[in-house]
Amino acid sequence: MKELTARGVFVQLGRVQALDDVSLTLNAGNATMLVGPNGAGKSTLLKVLLGLTRPDFGAFAVDGESARIGRDWKRRIGYLPEAVAFSENLTGWQQLRFFARARGVPRARVGHVLERVGLEGAARRAVRGYSRGMRQRLGLAVAILSEPELLILDEPTGGLDQEGLRVLWTVLAEWRERGRMALIASHDLALMERHVEQLCILQSGRLVAHGSADDLRRAARLEHRVWFEVDESDTARVRLLCEAMTKWGKGRVERRPGTVIVEIAPEAILELMEVQSGFPGAVRGLRVEEPTLDLAYDKLLGVA
Amino acid sequence: MGRVAGALVLHELLERTRDRWVIVISVAFALLASAVSLYGRSADAEVAKLTGPSLVTLASLFAPLVAMVLSHDAIVGERERNTLGLLFSLPVSRIEVVAAKFVGRALALTLAIGVGIGAAIAASGVSERAALTQLLGPTLLLGLAFLSLGMLISSTTRRQATAASVVVLVWFGLVFFFDLGLLALLVLSDGAVPQQAIASLVLANPAGLYRVQMMHTFAGPEVLRELGMTAALPGASVLAMIWGAWMLIPNLVSGWFLAREKSP
Repeated sequence: MKELTARGVFVQLGRVQALDDVSLTLNAGNATMLVGPNGAGKSTLLKVLLGLTRPDFGAFAVDGESARIGRDWKRRIGYLPEAVAFSENLTGWQQLRFFARARGVPRARVGHVLERVGLEGAARRAVRGYSRGMRQRLGLAVAILSEPELLILDEPTGGLDQEGLRVLWTVLAEWRERGRMALIASHDLALMERHVEQLCILQSGRLVAHGSADDLRRAARLEHRVWFEVDESDTARVRLLCEAMTKWGKGRVERRPGTVIVEIAPEAILELMEVQSGFPGAVRGLRVEEPTLDLAYDKLLGVA
Repeated sequence: MGRVAGALVLHELLERTRDRWVIVISVAFALLASAVSLYGRSADAEVAKLTGPSLVTLASLFAPLVAMVLSHDAIVGERERNTLGLLFSLPVSRIEVVAAKFVGRALALTLAIGVGIGAAIAASGVSERAALTQLLGPTLLLGLAFLSLGMLISSTTRRQATAASVVVLVWFGLVFFFDLGLLALLVLSDGAVPQQAIASLVLANPAGLYRVQMMHTFAGPEVLRELGMTAALPGASVLAMIWGAWMLIPNLVSGWFLAREKSP
């Protein structure tokens, strides 16, 4: 599977328009993150792609060919639900063995996958003795068990410790390297940003923005912060520099001990460099700080 | 049955036979049933004849209880653990999931009832064994009817605690209060309700049907005739249809209910 497309998906749940004309394309070798406030429609979109929720309208295609969400479709997908718990009475190995039988996966792979998620030591213990993070790792093991072409993860970072997160990142990297695709719903923008190629922001069932992290930053049109480290022994020159920048008028200037900070649109940064070059010796070093993705997200949702 | 459903049957059997409540109730049933048998064996011949009817009373309480403990969390438990979506994301239909869960749990129920009645048979005198063996089939049918009801309750509730409460109410209602209600109806109507209608109502309840069937087996048709029940006890094929309906209809409704659910 090279490309999976959903076009014009509408889902009405009771009186709520859970998805409102949402279109999405997933590409092989890429991980896509769905982000948005609670009730934005992230889980509903995942459930539509999993064949759990029937859309009122919508068309789906695999590699350009129209596709129906049925059994063949489901065979190609692995799923990690949010805060998955599993039956308390069975061991991790028994749980995974069930899914292996159900998906026709050889028994030998069960042990391999448990090892892959770092649960080989707890495989013969009942799930009731597992921590939340261990259950989440078991859920990840279930999702990757049949080596699906599309991995769908709903809030995968929940309850994971550093070791669990490392396992998750390794699995995601491996999935992309092998030309498979992943779709992840998460609130954890800061954690996930480096591990996905595409982000889709949903709000009230609508796709508000999508693209790479840089695309979203650009779309949000947030100012960058340029930090100038200045020579405080030459106060007159620093004062003149600040005055020139303020007079230039394309950024907000803030003076702090040893530092001058200018908030500025990214396209004006080169011009700012020319302004500061008129005061040789005043600046010892500089650093350009991009706005965080969280800020871009807030801006695009209209909450900042 | 497909691969997923087959795997689910095994999974359910494995999981249910490790449930502490199921084990405790099944062991209690086996202990009480063997105690009744042992008492019948040690007492005189007249008392020994009562072993079968006493076991019927015991089984009419325990078989529905074990069945409902086994089934009440079948669907709602998965819903609460967030694994229902995971299950439905497998290449399997929702009605197949219900059927596989029912079959897996029915196997666990067969094991529990088999151990209970088997213990009673093993503890009984040689002369009683053949008669007591006749308990196995109808007791299993009674259990399966309640298992199916439990599946329905589990599919139509959103919380496991609610399902457990409803199951207890249904158990009390059908096993204890149904007959009392009919008795009250007879008394209050002062005979206005025809006896045939009352007899049909008794048979409409799986626990009532089981008791009447077993009374027929152990006490003979003359006792039923004295109670005005003979005419109401249908033939073997109709009986099979009634038991079949009790097993099928609630499961089909469960499957239909889950299939029409837009977003589980």
